[in-house]
Amino acid sequence: MESLYDFLTVFAQPQLLLLVAVGTFAGVYVGAIPGLSVTMAVSILISFTFSWDVYPAISLMIGIYMGGVYGGSRTAILLNIPGAPSAIATALDGYPMAKRGEAGTAIGVTTVMSFIGGFIGIGVLALAAPLVSDFALRFQPRDYMLLAVLGILLVGSLSQGSLVKGIFAGALGIAVGAVGRDPLTFAERFTFDFRILEGGISFIAVMIGMFGVSEALLQLHHVNKDAVRQKISRVIPSLATVKKHLPLSLQTSTIGVTIGALPGTGGDIAALMAYDHAKRVTKNPDREFGDGAMEGLVAPETANNAAVGGAFIPMMTLGIPGDAVTAIMIGALFIHGLNPGPMLMIDQPDMFWFIVGALVAANFFMLFFGLTGIRLFTKIVEMPRAVLIPLILLLSIVGAYAVNNSITDVYWMLGFGVFGYFMRHYGYPLGPVILGVILSRLLDDNWRRAIISEREDLGRFFEGVFSSPLSAVLLLAVILIFVSQTPVWAWAKARLSRSTKGAEE
Amino acid sequence: MQHIEPEHHDGTSDATPGASDVTRRPGELVFGVFLLASSLGLLWSAYGIAGFEALSSPGAIPMATSAVMVMAAAVVVVKTIRLPMDVTETLARDILPVKVVIFAALLVAYGILLKPLGFLPTSALFLITGIKLLAKRNWGWTLFVSLGSLFVIWLIFRIVFTVLMPSGIVPEAEFIQFFRNLINGEGA
Repeated sequence: MESLYDFLTVFAQPQLLLLVAVGTFAGVYVGAIPGLSVTMAVSILISFTFSWDVYPAISLMIGIYMGGVYGGSRTAILLNIPGAPSAIATALDGYPMAKRGEAGTAIGVTTVMSFIGGFIGIGVLALAAPLVSDFALRFQPRDYMLLAVLGILLVGSLSQGSLVKGIFAGALGIAVGAVGRDPLTFAERFTFDFRILEGGISFIAVMIGMFGVSEALLQLHHVNKDAVRQKISRVIPSLATVKKHLPLSLQTSTIGVTIGALPGTGGDIAALMAYDHAKRVTKNPDREFGDGAMEGLVAPETANNAAVGGAFIPMMTLGIPGDAVTAIMIGALFIHGLNPGPMLMIDQPDMFWFIVGALVAANFFMLFFGLTGIRLFTKIVEMPRAVLIPLILLLSIVGAYAVNNSITDVYWMLGFGVFGYFMRHYGYPLGPVILGVILSRLLDDNWRRAIISEREDLGRFFEGVFSSPLSAVLLLAVILIFVSQTPVWAWAKARLSRSTKGAEE
Repeated sequence: MQHIEPEHHDGTSDATPGASDVTRRPGELVFGVFLLASSLGLLWSAYGIAGFEALSSPGAIPMATSAVMVMAAAVVVVKTIRLPMDVTETLARDILPVKVVIFAALLVAYGILLKPLGFLPTSALFLITGIKLLAKRNWGWTLFVSLGSLFVIWLIFRIVFTVLMPSGIVPEAEFIQFFRNLINGEGA
């Protein structure tokens, strides 16, 4: 009963509902405008809303998150430019549809499917998180440590990039998070005797640099690209279309929630995996994939919105972010004096149910804004990048400065911005860096707690790991990810397939 | 998972990284070597925290992570050396065009000027230069767009988010107070 009341908080307070609505509306456009991404928007916003109360700040961010994950699809369909990373797969079939004059249908289907996916994600969050958090109380420090390592590895192994570069990025993040005086012993770490480094590096500066500045610099390559306009037909899809794709959407939503719930991996990876899945299970598509198959829209769009709910599961229950945006939200909760983790779910369940409520509200607003205002939309999206990029850079600077009123943070942001720019070019993922920075403290504390409780004995430590099923599974998962990237794996796979073939003959 | 090849392989997202695994982009090796060298530096610095004193020492995790960085960077460098150079790309066009260098310099200049000049004049200068460089439109349009958007940003952040930026040479606070007095005066 209590939780129902907390769940309805957002609907009972017009001010919060309005903020969710504003957030979702802004999110749709932030997601849609190429060059503006949700991660960027949320990381800049965190520095502006830190003087607010926690509910309004979270309302706004959730709106932007939900709207933004969806918004990218519009530009993907209309202009063949994915407005947000999570819409990269959407462009593959959405744009061919638009070229055939079915842009309206494509947008309609995308919107409804995002809505369905969003709900499945939220449903799973509401059901699973309380269970996971009960379970999480039994987590040992070593389990937290292993989970953090697993999260950092997952991005590199599930994306199309290289695992080694992902590992490097994650380790770099942990190192950046360790800069400053050690909170336990007060020893200086990575300060190189600079006074300025003793307090550590502001993670907000790192985030804005990595996701704001570096993205804006990257967009400088595309300043003069012009977009082709498409005609928009009927938007609201027929019930038959929705019904036809419902089974697929349920499958891809499941993929979305799962990928979202895995630490570190979010909507962009979920969408690509769902697209891949749809391609394999759709036997006789009306049109080929890549030539405007409706299934190619349904799969990534349900998955990326389902991933939103999924990403909150590890964030709320364990304090381990499900993707880059939830990593930033954890930062926001820290700033507001809250400490996400199993204790938050027990001490302040209202926060959890409030977030679920806000997500539901945001999902409805997304459906509403998705099916209306398309005319206005095409105007806004054509805002020239020549104006947009300098504005993003200005906002990034203001954001980095505003948190601590410190010009040093601005320089950190610039440094990480330029560094992130090169990392993007050379295929180093940025997600693990942020994950590493956020999880650095957790990893460090839990390692030291774990090893001290085993009296500094590595043998005893591993004995402990293998005597607990959970730790053993986590360690195995970590090892498996490593092995899957080595030649041994390919060799074993080849052997295996040969032997099954042999058995068939 | 099957490899999906989207058109936008430019590093905008972790799911579609900027590098390729069959060719080496210009400067990729240099970047890798730079990372390796810095990781070695970090490892040395981490060793200096507590050496091999104890598994629970403040230096344990820093040493472990920087060791991982060194190993990962070394693997990347070795892998990159083996790849053939991508001949279709050049450093000046595809990786670091002049525009990017100019904007990075503009950002540094912004940081230097922010304290002495203040938020409004610095931002105005930054936006005007930036938009003029990118849009290549006439001065009237440039001034209108940049000053207009600066005004909107200032309104939103100063009034809604109450963010305080260095005021520098513009007497912002007095200005706002003047308007407050004006409005209150009318109301009374």
